[in-house]
Amino acid sequence: MDNPSFFGIRHLSPAGAYYLRCFLDVKQPKLVLVEGPADFNDILKDITRKETKPPIAVLAYTKEVPVRTILYPFAEYSPEYQAILWCNERNVQFRFIDLPSSTFLAMPECFPANTDEGRTNVYMELDKICGDDGHEIFWERTLEQAGSLEAYHKGAKNFGANLRNLTEGKEDNWAETVLREAYMRQQIKDAVTSGINPGDIVVVTGSYHVEGLKSWQDSNENFKGMPETEAVHTLMPYSYYRLSTRAGYGAGNKAPAYYSLLWEGFKRNEPGYSSYSYLIKLAAYMRKAGSPVSAASVIEAVRLAESLAMLRNGSRPSLRDLRDAAVTCIGEGSFAAISLGMADTEIGTVIGTLPDGVSRTSIQDDFYRQLKDLKLEKYRSAICQDIMLDLRENRRVKSEKAAFIDLHRSFFLHQSRILNIKFAGQVNTSQDNATWQEHWMLQWTPEAEIALVESALKGDTIASAASFEMKERVENATNMGQIALVIEDACYCGMEKAAVYATAALQKIAVDTISVEDLAETAQRLSIIIQYGNIRQANPEPLKPILSQLFYRACLVLEGACICDDAASQVIIDAMEKLNSAELAHDFLDKKEWLKVLENIAIHDNLNTKLSGFAAAILLERGNMDTERLRTEVSRRLSAGTPASLGAGWFEGLAMKNKYALIARLSLWESLNIYLTSLTDEEFKRALVFLRRAFAGFSAAEKDEIAENLGEILGLDGRETSEAVNTVLDESSQEIIDSLGDFDFDF
Amino acid sequence: MEEQILRLPAEQLFQKEIDALIAAEKYPVPSGWNMSPQSVKTYICGGNVNGTNITPKYIGHERLVEIAISTLVTDRALLLIGEPGTAKSWLSEHLTAAINGCSTKVVQGTAGTTEEQIKYSWNYAMLVAKGPSMEAMLKSPVFNAMETGTIARVEEISRCASEVQDALISLLSEKRISVPELALEVPAKKGFSVIATANTRDKGVNEMSAALKRRFNIVILPAPATLDSEMEIVKTRVSQLSENLDLNASLPEEDVVEKVCTIFRELRNGETLDRRQKVKATSGVLSTAEAISLLCNSMALAGSFGNGVVTDLDLASALQGAVIKDEEKDNVAWKEYLENIMKKRGSEWSGLYMACKELSGE
Repeated sequence: MDNPSFFGIRHLSPAGAYYLRCFLDVKQPKLVLVEGPADFNDILKDITRKETKPPIAVLAYTKEVPVRTILYPFAEYSPEYQAILWCNERNVQFRFIDLPSSTFLAMPECFPANTDEGRTNVYMELDKICGDDGHEIFWERTLEQAGSLEAYHKGAKNFGANLRNLTEGKEDNWAETVLREAYMRQQIKDAVTSGINPGDIVVVTGSYHVEGLKSWQDSNENFKGMPETEAVHTLMPYSYYRLSTRAGYGAGNKAPAYYSLLWEGFKRNEPGYSSYSYLIKLAAYMRKAGSPVSAASVIEAVRLAESLAMLRNGSRPSLRDLRDAAVTCIGEGSFAAISLGMADTEIGTVIGTLPDGVSRTSIQDDFYRQLKDLKLEKYRSAICQDIMLDLRENRRVKSEKAAFIDLHRSFFLHQSRILNIKFAGQVNTSQDNATWQEHWMLQWTPEAEIALVESALKGDTIASAASFEMKERVENATNMGQIALVIEDACYCGMEKAAVYATAALQKIAVDTISVEDLAETAQRLSIIIQYGNIRQANPEPLKPILSQLFYRACLVLEGACICDDAASQVIIDAMEKLNSAELAHDFLDKKEWLKVLENIAIHDNLNTKLSGFAAAILLERGNMDTERLRTEVSRRLSAGTPASLGAGWFEGLAMKNKYALIARLSLWESLNIYLTSLTDEEFKRALVFLRRAFAGFSAAEKDEIAENLGEILGLDGRETSEAVNTVLDESSQEIIDSLGDFDFDF
Repeated sequence: MEEQILRLPAEQLFQKEIDALIAAEKYPVPSGWNMSPQSVKTYICGGNVNGTNITPKYIGHERLVEIAISTLVTDRALLLIGEPGTAKSWLSEHLTAAINGCSTKVVQGTAGTTEEQIKYSWNYAMLVAKGPSMEAMLKSPVFNAMETGTIARVEEISRCASEVQDALISLLSEKRISVPELALEVPAKKGFSVIATANTRDKGVNEMSAALKRRFNIVILPAPATLDSEMEIVKTRVSQLSENLDLNASLPEEDVVEKVCTIFRELRNGETLDRRQKVKATSGVLSTAEAISLLCNSMALAGSFGNGVVTDLDLASALQGAVIKDEEKDNVAWKEYLENIMKKRGSEWSGLYMACKELSGE
């Protein structure tokens, strides 16, 4: 009985792809079996379509959470891809024979070993043996440059066999390898049993597996009980960049754009093609970037690369030789000078394309339909691009759709942001351009595509998936802030229903919330949405009642929260500030109640004095406290006998707001002066700490004015006083101040 | 006779190795060369040929050696750039020794180098007596190299004035030298090339013109990448030198070499080896070559005035001399280094620390 012909390859190998085609031409098989998940056979018709341009990848993913995925990338120079094309051109049967992806995905413990990690040891070992900067270059020098089909076929076989000898049984994922090879053997046997003459079969696998498959005749296995999970797969466009990061099945390659040059060289039958086109492209990039690179330098670089290859007994330069030659002749010895050009020439920005509607999940279809609708297609590129959105209605266009296109773009981009699809990133801008403008950076990456496919579980369209995601976030929320964030996001996404849903959830959770901090934070968010939401066509009405309710609740608990120590007071101050600005922005909030609470806090002596001071500051700012009352309050708070820490703390709170109003009031400074003179030395030291802190917030100009006030009170020259107040401390005063650091405040 | 010579050229010092390599040649030899590029690499980077041990001359950065050799194969001129003491001249000497068996065709670039020294000049007595003739002409090393198809060396090219540097341009692009006085054009024989070295950090260098730079393949020689490789270089060179110089002292111990290299690397890089602490860098360049000469100095001290073993005190005075080039600035940097870094290094370093401290006068 004949044996099938085995052809060992390396994934992503131009020479492998080229010689595999030669091999198939020679053998003229009736069936080609290729290492690759057996359940992928249905995508072949899409891979072979004219509009399909590699790099592409097959993405298999589980249908249940947590989503696990595996990727099988193909470049144009993947031997597997060329085998598929060859079979398609000649109407020859083709089949993948590796374990189905549903089984791979069901073996999570084996799965990580399937990526590079498990094999690293093998390759590290190999690196040591190969010398010459590692096995990658070794492979390129020996096999990618193989001069004939026989040389490649034999070389790959030996490489695989030796690698196998070296590592058999030692690999982390050995058990998986055994299982896969058993499965592949059985598939070969099945093919033979189905009536095809073994001599008419060509089996294409990684060179490592060739030895493992030879004994296919003895195979008699039953794979019924294998673990399996429900898995789906889809084709997706891929990028050279992603290929270069070596993610996914099999070895990636570090320099996909360079490898495509190698492939081009094979196709043109021009062995030196990759060397000179690499250097020419690099030089072209450098010229574009503004550094003059002469053709003479390129010629010298080619010659140097060839002579470097000769030193290693290679017939043609390897990538390493080319890089070193480029550094020497084009970069004047410095790698940094040409590193960008190198990245571009070696990795490149190529991304694959698929015809519309090919094996995509419905969410992918929706995503691309929307890209087209919203005229965002040109941003589907591997290069990062800016876009500025003006959310206002454009009155110069005819249709409503065109008038609000930027707004809808914004909705779409925010929805993909919520789904963690890394296609769009929002850039923070200053508030100058206000809320009607948004700045985004768009860049398509395979990661975005993967995230997109993963979102398929959440819904059939971007909008429905986003709404599902938000619902989930609401359900898992543990505090109000998280829900408020969802409401905000819903508003950004233009999804009113989600907003209403989240609002209801917010109401439920609000009843149990007593944290002023949370209440104020949420109130602020809601307040902003109500104020500016109309630019996004958001309806503020459903939010108003909940905001009133939250605000009222905050009013009720605020006073109680003011009994706290100084460390906690800052949080309350922030909350008071937020609540105050919310109240000022909306008529429907309970102004009377708010003022009453502030009055109470300002007057009561049992609260944190800093907070009392701050409440007084708010009242003062709002014009609800006249000069007379301020004066009384100051003298009362700062009267002799009040512990210095309390008095000065109060002043600190008061000074946190509307400094100009304070500076303008001479009476305030008089009271302060009287207070200070009334203190004993010991008390003064204590007060000094607080007062210094209070005045730290004043600018030099403001201190000037205070100095003028003080000058007037004390009868001194204002300018001299100002100088004294504004000078940096000299050493002796610093020492005195430092000594206060040891001061015992708890007595 | 030979023993009287202070410093033998590389090709004589390593005559045996060169002969062994030539005898064992397996690869094609480029025209004008004495051995194949592969053998040149073995000569520089070390190895074993038919039982003869080839000592490594340049340690670390093997790839740079390959690039340098390949450049010369392509008949391009080679420019070695680097900080002082990164073995530029050393490498260029050994390359020519291996390729041509002659490393002495050297033009030393200085501020006073003239164009004549690069091309040719005249024996004026003869010129006056007989008029211009071949006999009256004094050929420069570059001229000689062109005639014989060998490699000329131009040391410290960036120290020459720019117009003198540029005299090389026509030689390198036309590959011929013209003598208008004799109506003569001398074409270079196959195998001719130039290895130039240039300094990046010294004071008193002239920027090279772009036109000249384009005629060179440029290889930048870095300082040794790791402590281990630097120690290796220092140990090898010190033992070679002490043999030559009859220093009457035993070779410094491993830990002495390690200390010197550590101090040099830390002061050079401005941070400690573990990268945890910043160190004030000194004004001078503390190169590997300097470390080598420092150790030889202390060996000489120990040999002549001590018991033949390098003591901490010998080392300390040599260190101080090497580190402190600019009295004021370096003194501060050195004292800081002593107090902040060396003092805290524990007992192994305490002897050296005490000796250094004593010397610095505190």
